[in-house]
Amino acid sequence: MPPTAAELLDLAIRATTAYRREDLGERLAVARRRLLDPEVRVLVVGEFKQGKSMLVNSLVDAPVCPVDDDLATAVPTLVRHAPEPSVVLVGDDERQRRSVPIDQLAQHVSEAGNPGNREHLRHAEVGVPRAVLSGGLCIVDTPGVGGLDSAHGASTMAVLPTADAVILVSDAAQEYTAPELDFLRQAMKMCPTVLCVLTKTDLYPQWRRIAELNRGHLAAADVDADLIAVSSTLRQHAIRTNSQRLNEESGFPELISRLRNDILGQAAALADRSVANDVLSVTAQLSASMQAELAAYRDPNHAGDLIAELTRARTRADALRERSARWQQTLNDGVSDLIADIEYDLRDRMRHLLREAEEELERVDPATVDEEFTLWLHQRGAAAASANFVWAHQRAQWLARQVAEHFGDAGDQAMPDLDFHAPNATSSFEMPGAERFGLGQKVITGMRGGYGGTIMIGMLSTVAGLALLNPVSVAAGVLLGRKTVKDERKRMLQRRRSEAKVAARRFVDDLIFQVGKESRDLLRELQRTLRDHFTAYAKELSRSVQEALTAAQQAVNGDAGSRDGRIKDVTAELGRVDHLASLARGLGR
Amino acid sequence: MSRLGGQVRTLLRDAVEVFRETPEIAQGLRDHLDRLDGPLRVAIAGQVKAGKSTLLNALVGERLAPTDAGECTRIVTWYRRGHRPRVSAHPLGGGPRQLRIDRVGGALRIDLEGLNPAHVERLVVDWPAQGLSDTILIDTPGIASLSADVSARANGFLAPDDEPSEADAVVYLMRHLHSADLRLLESFHDNGIARANPVNTIAVLSRADEIGVGRVDALMSAAKIARRYRTDPRLRRLCQGVVPVAGLLAETARSLHQQEFDALARMAVTSRDEVESALLSADRFVRYAGLGLLERFGLFGVRLSLALIRQGFGDPGRLAAELTRRSGVDELRAVFAAQFTQRRDLLKCRSALLAVDALLSRDSRPGTPVLRDDIERILAGAHEFTELRVLGALRSGAFDLTDHAADEAERLLGAGGAQPWSRLGLPADVGRDEQRAAVLDALARWQRQAENPLARKATVDVARVVVRSCEGMAADLAD
Repeated sequence: MPPTAAELLDLAIRATTAYRREDLGERLAVARRRLLDPEVRVLVVGEFKQGKSMLVNSLVDAPVCPVDDDLATAVPTLVRHAPEPSVVLVGDDERQRRSVPIDQLAQHVSEAGNPGNREHLRHAEVGVPRAVLSGGLCIVDTPGVGGLDSAHGASTMAVLPTADAVILVSDAAQEYTAPELDFLRQAMKMCPTVLCVLTKTDLYPQWRRIAELNRGHLAAADVDADLIAVSSTLRQHAIRTNSQRLNEESGFPELISRLRNDILGQAAALADRSVANDVLSVTAQLSASMQAELAAYRDPNHAGDLIAELTRARTRADALRERSARWQQTLNDGVSDLIADIEYDLRDRMRHLLREAEEELERVDPATVDEEFTLWLHQRGAAAASANFVWAHQRAQWLARQVAEHFGDAGDQAMPDLDFHAPNATSSFEMPGAERFGLGQKVITGMRGGYGGTIMIGMLSTVAGLALLNPVSVAAGVLLGRKTVKDERKRMLQRRRSEAKVAARRFVDDLIFQVGKESRDLLRELQRTLRDHFTAYAKELSRSVQEALTAAQQAVNGDAGSRDGRIKDVTAELGRVDHLASLARGLGR
Repeated sequence: MSRLGGQVRTLLRDAVEVFRETPEIAQGLRDHLDRLDGPLRVAIAGQVKAGKSTLLNALVGERLAPTDAGECTRIVTWYRRGHRPRVSAHPLGGGPRQLRIDRVGGALRIDLEGLNPAHVERLVVDWPAQGLSDTILIDTPGIASLSADVSARANGFLAPDDEPSEADAVVYLMRHLHSADLRLLESFHDNGIARANPVNTIAVLSRADEIGVGRVDALMSAAKIARRYRTDPRLRRLCQGVVPVAGLLAETARSLHQQEFDALARMAVTSRDEVESALLSADRFVRYAGLGLLERFGLFGVRLSLALIRQGFGDPGRLAAELTRRSGVDELRAVFAAQFTQRRDLLKCRSALLAVDALLSRDSRPGTPVLRDDIERILAGAHEFTELRVLGALRSGAFDLTDHAADEAERLLGAGGAQPWSRLGLPADVGRDEQRAAVLDALARWQRQAENPLARKATVDVARVVVRSCEGMAADLAD
C-alpha cells in the first residue's frame, strides 16, 4: 500500500530532522499545512435563467439555491460539505459574517428578497451533509450574466481566479449564442478546466442536435471542453421515487463522476504531484552529501577532482544567495515593469470608459437616465477592473517561471504557489441631484429678465415721447423674460451635464486609485513571496553543496580503518533516502 | 385617406420634384409613395431561436417559414399576399430571381439554387394566405447569433445607420429580457418624428410554454412575468406592451389534424401512471409515442391537451379553439390590431416622414428648406403625432396624475387602439348613442382638469391634448 501525500510528507519531515536539515523541513511543513485545506471550488456560470440554481440543487439533492420562473439569483452561493446544515452570510468585509436559519436563505440570495444585492453581501456559504461534496468539493452558484438585474455579473469574473474548475450551463432550447462563447473564452483565461453542461433535456426532443451543434461551436472556437447533457427535473423525480433507471436517464451520474473523478481527482493529483516534487527536491539535496562522501571513500584517487567540482558548485550556489544574483535582478525588474504595465493598462481602460461616459452624457439629460447610467458605469468599471486583473494574473505567472529558470533544472521543483485575490473596489457613482426649477424660480427669473427689457425699451421710447410703460416696452419685457427663462433652463441642463461628468470623472479616479493601489500591493506582495521563496531555496541549495563538500573532505582525510564500515553505513542511509524518493515518484505519477 | 395621408403624399411628391436630378433618390421617394398605398410592413425580430418563424406561422395560420431546432433563418424574408405561390430571391446588386418551391410535410422549403446566402439581400414569398391580407410580415435572422454576418444582417435591416428601417412596425420576441434585447429595442427609437416614442414596437414573451419548464401552469407563470415586464420603466419606454405567447401551441392549434387528436384522445383514456411516466421527459415520450406528436405540440402542449381532453374538450375543433385561446396568440392578434392595423396609416406616414427627414439631413439643395418647413408643419398640425408624443411622455411617468387618471388619459389618447370604443374603454358592439354619452362625459371631466388652476403646467398640457382627442371623437360620433 503506497503512502498518501500526507504520510509521505510526514516521513520526509522525519528524515530531515534525522539528518539535521531543519531548513528543508520547514518547506515540507508548509506543504503539509497546505494539504489540510483541500477545497476544490467549482463555479457554476452561464447566462441567466438557464437552470444553474436548479442544477446545483439537483446535484446536492437539497433545495439550497432558490429557484423561480422569473426572478434570478443575486448573490453567489457556496455549497460545501458540513456535518450539519448551516447557512452563513458574508458581507462586504470578510469579517462580517452572520448565521441565518436555512429556510431564510432565499430571502437573502434571490432577486425577490434582495433586489440588486442591496444588502451588499459578498456571498453566502451553505453547508449540507452530502457525500457528493465530501473531499473538499465546493460548488458555487453564481448570478447569471446578461440579465438586466444582475448588476453583479461582472463580479463573477473577479471570483474566477479562485476557482479550480468552471461549469458552463446553457439550456437545450438553443445552441450557444455569441455572448455565451465570449464569456467562456474570457473565463478560460483565468481557469482552464471547463465542463459544459446542457440542461433541461427533458423538455426538448431535439437536445441531441443542440448538443451536437454546441460541440461543433466549441471545436470551432478551439475550446477543449466536454459537454454533458442533464435533466434536473428527471433527477429530482428519480430521487423522489428512488428510481435507479430515471437517475441514469437524467445524466447526473455522469456529471457527478466527472466532478468527483476528473475535477476533484485532478485537483488531488495536482496536489500529490506538488508534494512529490517537494519531497524529491528534498531527497535530492539530502542524498547529495551522502553520494559525495561515498564517492570519495570508494575512489580516493579521484577525490581531488570531486572536491574541485564541489567547490565550483558551492561558488555557484553562493552566487545565487548574493543580493546581486541574476534572479534577483530578473524579479525586481520584472515586478517594476509589471507594475508600470498594469497601471498603464488600467488607466488606459478607464480613460476609454470615461470618454464613452462623457459622450453618453453629452447626448442625454442626466436627470432622466440616472439609474441606467449608474448601473452601466458600475458594470463597465467592474468589467474593466477585472479584465485588467486577468492580465496581471497571467503576467505574474509568467514572471515566476522566468525567475525559476535561473535555478536550472531544479527550478521546476521550486515553483511556489501563487495566491492571488482579485482587487475589490468599493467606490460608487452617484448622479448629482438635479436642481429643481420650480414655478417660483421661473417667475423670478422671468421677472428679472423682463424688468431689464421693459426699462431698456421704455427708456428708449421716452425719447419718442411715449410713457415708460407702453405696449412696446411691455412686449419687449415679456419677450426678454421668456428668453431668460429658456436660457436658464438650458444653463441648468448644461450644469447637470457638467456635474454628472465631474461625478463620473471622480468615480473613475477613485476606481483607478483603489484598484491601482490594490493591484500594486498585490504585486509587491507577490514580489516578496517570490523573493522569500527563492532566497530560502538558494540557501538550502548552498547548504546542501557545503555539506556534500565537507562530507567528501572528511572521507579523504579520514583513516582507512573505519572506511569499510562507513561505506556500509552511508550506502544503507542512501538506500533509505532513495526509497523515500521512489515513494515520491510513485505518488507523483 | 386621412388629412395627414394627403399632406404626406403632397410632401413626397414635392420631394420627388426637388430631387428629380438624382434618379435613385427620386426612385426611393416614389417607392415610399407606393408604400403609403401598400400594406403595413411588420418585422418580426429577436435573438436567435426566440421563435420568430414559429410565431410568423401562427400569425399567418400556415406553416410557411421553415423552422428547425438549430439556427434556421439566415436571410431576411418577406411574406406578402399573392394570388399564387411564388418565391423570388433578390441578390445584392442584381435583378430578382424566381426560385422553385417545395413543400415537405406542409412546411415550405426554399432551395436557393446555388446562390450564396451572404449575397442575397432578401427573399420574397408571395402566398395566397388570408393572414397576409393587410400586412407584409418580415422574418429576420436572430441577433446575438454566433455567425457574425447573420447578426449583422438582422441589425442592418432593423436599425440601419443612416436611414430609417424598411419596416413600419416591429414585433419583438424575447425569451427573457436580456440586456442585448434592451440595446436593440433602444436602437428602434427615433428621436425625431415621434419624439422617442415606442409607438411601433410590441414585445412578445415567446416560447411562453417553456418558461415554467413545461409545467401545466407554465402559461400563468409567463403571464405573471409579462405583467412585471409591462411595469418595468425601462421596457415601458421602449414598447407598447408585453404579450406572452406560446408560438408552437398556436401554430399547431391552427392546423390540428384528426389523427393527432385521435392519438391524444387514446392517450387520455389509458392508465394515468403509464402516460405520466412517459411524459417525464422528451426522450421517454418519443419512445412511447414517436417524435411526431412531440414536434408539433412540445411536452407542454401534450400535457395541456391531455388535461383538456380529460376535462371534456372531446372533439378536434373545440380542442384547437381552447389551445389557441390559451396560447395567447389571440391576445397578440388583438394588440396587433389595436396598435398596428388600426394605426397603419399613421405608421406608414411616420415611416415616410422619417425617410424624408433622414434624406434632408444628408442632402441639401435648392428646395430642401421648403421641404423641411413642410415636415415641421405636418408634425405641428397633425393631432395624431401630438397624441403619440403625449403618450410617450405619459409612459415615462413624471406627471402628478393619479394612476387611474393616467390610465384613462392613455386610453383616451389611443394607447389601446384608435377606435372610439376602445379609447372609451367600451366593448366593440356598443351603439353610437352610448359612445357619444361616454365621450361627452369624458370631455367634461378632462375640460375641468385642463382648467384646474392648481394643476402643474405639464399636467394641464396633457389634459388639453386629451380634450382635443375627445372633441375629435365627439365630432366623429355626431354625424
